[in-house]
Amino acid sequence: MTVLPITVGILVAGGIYLLCQPGLVRIVFGITLLSHGANLVLLSSGVSAWRGEPLTGTADPADAGDPLPMAFVLTAIVITLAVTVFMLALARIGHDDSTRHMPDTGENHRA
Amino acid sequence: MTLMWLLAALATVPVLVVPLTSALGRRAGWPLAIGFLALAAAMIPSARDVLDGGEVAQTVAWLPALDIDLALRLDGLALVFVMIALVIGAAVFLYSVEYLGESRQLGFYLWMTAFAFGMVGLVLADDLILLFACWEITSLASFLLIARSGSGAESASARTLFMTFVGGLTLLIAVVLMIVATGTTSLSQALASDVWADRPGFTAVVAVLVAVAGFTKAAQFPFHPWLPDAMAAATPVSAYLHAAAVVKAGIYLLLRFSEAFSDVPVWNALLISVGLFTAAMAALFAFQQHDLKRLMAYSTVSQLGLITAAIGVGTEKALTAAVIHTIAHALFKSGLFMMVGVIDHSAGTRDLRRLPELRRVMPWSFATVILGTAGMAGIPPLLGFVSKETILGSMLEAPGPAWVGMLALAAAGTGSVLTFAYSAKIVLGAFVDGERELKDCHGPGAWLFLPAAAPIWVGLPLGLAVGVLNTPVERAVQAMGSSTAYPLKLWHGLAPELLVTAAAIAVGAALMTRRRALYRVVGDNFLPGTGADALERIFDEAGDLGRRISQTVAADHPRRHVVPPLIVLTLLLGVGSLAILTSGDVPATQPDLWRPVDVGLLVLIALGVIGTCLADSRIAATVSLGGVGIAVTVQLFALGAPDVGLTQLMVEVLTVLVIMLVLRQLPGRFGHSHLRRPGGPLVLAGGLGVAAGVATWLLTGRREKSVPADYYLTEGTEVTGGDNLVNVILVEFRALDTLGELAVLGLAGVAIVAVLATIPSRTLDPPGRTHRPSLRPVGALRDPQARTALIDPESNLRAFQLLLRVVVPVLLVLSAVIFWRGHNAPGGGFIAALVASAAVALVYLSRPDDRAVGSPRVHIALIGGGVLTALVTGLIGYADSSFLQPLYGTVAGTKLSTSLLFDVGVYAAVLGVVMVAFDRLGASPPDVPAEEPAAETPTDRTKEGIV
Repeated sequence: MTVLPITVGILVAGGIYLLCQPGLVRIVFGITLLSHGANLVLLSSGVSAWRGEPLTGTADPADAGDPLPMAFVLTAIVITLAVTVFMLALARIGHDDSTRHMPDTGENHRA
Repeated sequence: MTLMWLLAALATVPVLVVPLTSALGRRAGWPLAIGFLALAAAMIPSARDVLDGGEVAQTVAWLPALDIDLALRLDGLALVFVMIALVIGAAVFLYSVEYLGESRQLGFYLWMTAFAFGMVGLVLADDLILLFACWEITSLASFLLIARSGSGAESASARTLFMTFVGGLTLLIAVVLMIVATGTTSLSQALASDVWADRPGFTAVVAVLVAVAGFTKAAQFPFHPWLPDAMAAATPVSAYLHAAAVVKAGIYLLLRFSEAFSDVPVWNALLISVGLFTAAMAALFAFQQHDLKRLMAYSTVSQLGLITAAIGVGTEKALTAAVIHTIAHALFKSGLFMMVGVIDHSAGTRDLRRLPELRRVMPWSFATVILGTAGMAGIPPLLGFVSKETILGSMLEAPGPAWVGMLALAAAGTGSVLTFAYSAKIVLGAFVDGERELKDCHGPGAWLFLPAAAPIWVGLPLGLAVGVLNTPVERAVQAMGSSTAYPLKLWHGLAPELLVTAAAIAVGAALMTRRRALYRVVGDNFLPGTGADALERIFDEAGDLGRRISQTVAADHPRRHVVPPLIVLTLLLGVGSLAILTSGDVPATQPDLWRPVDVGLLVLIALGVIGTCLADSRIAATVSLGGVGIAVTVQLFALGAPDVGLTQLMVEVLTVLVIMLVLRQLPGRFGHSHLRRPGGPLVLAGGLGVAAGVATWLLTGRREKSVPADYYLTEGTEVTGGDNLVNVILVEFRALDTLGELAVLGLAGVAIVAVLATIPSRTLDPPGRTHRPSLRPVGALRDPQARTALIDPESNLRAFQLLLRVVVPVLLVLSAVIFWRGHNAPGGGFIAALVASAAVALVYLSRPDDRAVGSPRVHIALIGGGVLTALVTGLIGYADSSFLQPLYGTVAGTKLSTSLLFDVGVYAAVLGVVMVAFDRLGASPPDVPAEEPAAETPTDRTKEGIV
C-alpha cells in the first residue's frame, strides 16, 4: 500500500474538474492542481522509498533520492508560474474571465 | 581577397550600418559606396584568375554531419553578377545620399546591405543548401525594403513576399530532389551529374521547378505583378533591386542551371514561350503607364522576358546574348530608375501627364535619358544595341523546326516595336511634351545626377568597344558548360536581326509621330483588373476558406478542446493499467514507499482541493489553492527534495500574490453555474483521477535505483565540484533543458507585455466595470481606526514601509547567499531569484498607489539579458568542446565553473518575469476614484515598453 498515488489522483481529479469550468480563473486553478499532481508523479518515478537529500556529504548515496526527477520538477514549477501568470493576464482582459464569450480585443480580423 | 573574406566582409556591413547611420544619417551612403567599390577592387586578383580561364573556389565545413559545406566558387558567370551587385550597389548608395530624406535611414541601409550580402552569397554559392538560403535572404530583404515604405506599401510587400515565396518553395523542392538524386549538396557536382541524362522524366520535373523559381524572381508571367507592386519602395531600392540585383537573381538561377537543362525540351519550350510572351505583354503594359516608375517596372519585366527566352534557346549565341544583355540592362535600367528619381526630385512628380518640357531646365538629364532609353530600345552604337541584336539573332537558333525560330524572332520583334515606342514615350513625355509651366522645376544637383547618369553613359564606350567584354562573357558562357562563346561585335553585317531592329525602329518611330491618337487607342488598362487585384482576391478567398474550416472546430470555451484528449488519456491509462495488471508480470513495490507524514498531507491536500473546487468566492478558492500548495511543498520536503520544496514555496507565495492582484479586476464570485450540470466534469475528473492514481501506483516504485541516479549520486560531485546534485544537473549536466525552460519563461513574460500592450485600454479596462468592493457596508468601518486605514492607504502603509527598510536589504543579501551557495547546498539561481522577487513583491505591496516597481525596459532587459547570458555561457563552452560545456577554474582556492554565469542568466530571467507579472497585472484600471492619483493606465505604460 502506498499514499502518493492517492494524492496524485485527488490532485488530478480536482484539476480536471476545474479545467472543465467556464471561467478562466478556475481553469488556471485547475492547471495549478494538475501541475502539482504531475510533479508528484515525476518525483514518484524516482521511487519514494529513498528520501535522503541528494547533497553529497549529507546523505548516504544509497539512501538519497533520485536528483534527476527533482531537477525536472524544479524547472516545471517555474514554468507553471510563468504559464499561470500569462493566463491570469488573459483573464483580466475586459474585467471578465468568462470563457463563454470572447472578450473584444479591439482586433480587426478582416484587415 | 578570398571569397570567404568577401562574404564575411559583406556580412559585417549590415552590422556596421547601425553605428554608421547613427553617426552620419543618410550620408552613411558615402562610406558604404566606397566600401563596396573597395570590395570590388579587392576582387580584381581573383577576377584576373577567372578571366585567365581558372576558377577560384573555397570550402569551409559548415554542417559536416549533414555533409553541407560553405562552398564558394567564383567562375565567369558568378563574376558578372558579383560585379553588378557591388558596382551598381556603390552607385546606388552614392545616389541615395542625395535622394533620401534628411533622417537616419537605418532600415534602408540595413536591408540594402543585407540584400547585397544575400545576392553575392547566392551567386558565389557552390552548395545547394547555401544557394537556397541566400535566395531566401534576397527575398526577405526585398520584402522588407518594400514594406518599410509606408502604409500603402504593406499589401504590396505582402504580395511580393507571397510571389517570391512560391518560387522559394519550388526551389526548395528542386534542391531537395537534386540532393536526393545526385547524392551531393555540391552545386557544381550536381549540375555535372549523369542523372540528368539518365532520367529524362525526373530531369523535366526539376527543370520546371527551377524555371518556376526563376520566373518568380525575374518577374515572368504569371508572377510578374510583384514588380510593378514593388515600385512602392524608394527609388534607390528599385534602381538596385528591381533593375540590377533581385530580378537578376532569377536570371542567374536560370543561367546557372542551363548547364543541366539546356537540352531538356520542356525547359526550352517553357522559357522561350513564357519569356517572349512576357516580353511582348509587359512592353504593351509599359506603354500604357503614366507613372514613369511603373513604366520602368513593366519595361524591366519585358527586358527580362527577352533574357529568359534567350536562356531557353540555350545555344552558345543565345547564352552569350543573355549574359551581355544582363550586363547592358543592369547598367541602363538602374541608371534610368535613378534618372526617374532625378526627374521626380526636380519636377515634384513622375507622372508623364503632369511633367512639363523638362529639357529646358535639365538638358544634361535630357541627354542622359535619351542615351539610356536608346540603349533600351536597341539603337546603335550603344551596348544595348549589341546585346539586343544578339538576342534577336539567337531566336533563330531556337530548337525545333525552322518556323519556331522565325516565330520567336517575330515575337521578339513585336516586343521591340513596343520597346521603342515606350522608350520614346519616356523621352517625349518627360522632356518634350507637356503643358505645365516650368516655374517650380530646377535642375538636379551634381551628386544626385552623376551616380544616376554614370551607368547609362558607360553604355556608349562599351558599345563602341564591345570587344573588351568578349573575354568576361566568354568565361561566363563557358561556366555554363559551353566550349566557346559567340564573338561580340558592333557590326555583324546585314543579318536578319539587323533588319528586325531597323523595322522595329521605323515602325515605332512612325507610330510615335501619331502618339496622341495612339495613347487614346491603347489607353488605360483594358483588362478587367490587375494582377495585384487578382492576388488580393486569392488572399481573401483563402482567408475566407480558412475561417470557414476553422469554424467547424472553433470554440471559445476550452472545454470542447480539452475533453476529447482527456477521455482518450483516461482510456489509455485505464486500459493500459488493466492490461499490465492482468498480465501478472508486475514487479513487487519497494518497501517503505510511504511515511506517516504522507497520510496527513493527503488529508490536507484533499480538503484543499475540495475547497478550491467548491468555493464560490474567488478569494476563498485562492486561499484553498494556497493551502494545497503549502501542503504539496511540505510533501516535497518530505520526499527529500529541499531545492524543489524551496522553489515551490516561493512560487506558491508569488502565485497567490499575483492571483490576488488579478482578482481585484474580476467579479468577487464565480457564480454557481458549474453546479447546475456537474455530471460530465465530475465523471471525467473521477475517471482520470482514478486512472492517474492507479497508473502512478502501478508504474512507479517498483525498481531499484536508476542508472542515471546512481551516476549522479556517486560521480556528480567529482565531475562538477558541486555538492548540490539537483543544482549541478540544472546548470551543468542538463543545462540545455534549463536553457529551453528559460526561453519559455522569458517568452511568457514578453507575451504578457505584448498582449496587454496591443489591447486598447477601453477593452482592457472597460469603463464602468470595476469590481472593487464598495467600502461602505463593511462593518469594521464603524471603528474609526480601521476606517482611517482603509480610506487613507498612505498612513496605513507607513509601518509596513518602515519594516521593509530592514526586510528588503535582508532579502537581497539572503538572495545573494542562496545564489552563491546553490552549487553545494539547497539554493541556486531559481530560488535566489524567487527570493529577490519576493522583495520586489513587498516593495510593490508597500506602495499606496499601484506604481510599477521597474520600468518595461528593465523587465525586457532582465528577461532578454538573462536568456542571452545563458546563451553566451553556452557559446563559451565551445572553447572546450561543445555548447554549454562548463569550464572549470580555481579562483582563490574555490573551484568555480562557468555554470555560475549560466545561473546568473537564470536569476535575471526569473526575476524579470516575476517583475512583469507584478507591474503589468497589478496596475489599476484608469476609472478608479481620484483617491489613487498616481495610477497610470496599464496600456500607456506598456506602450512605453514597446517603443
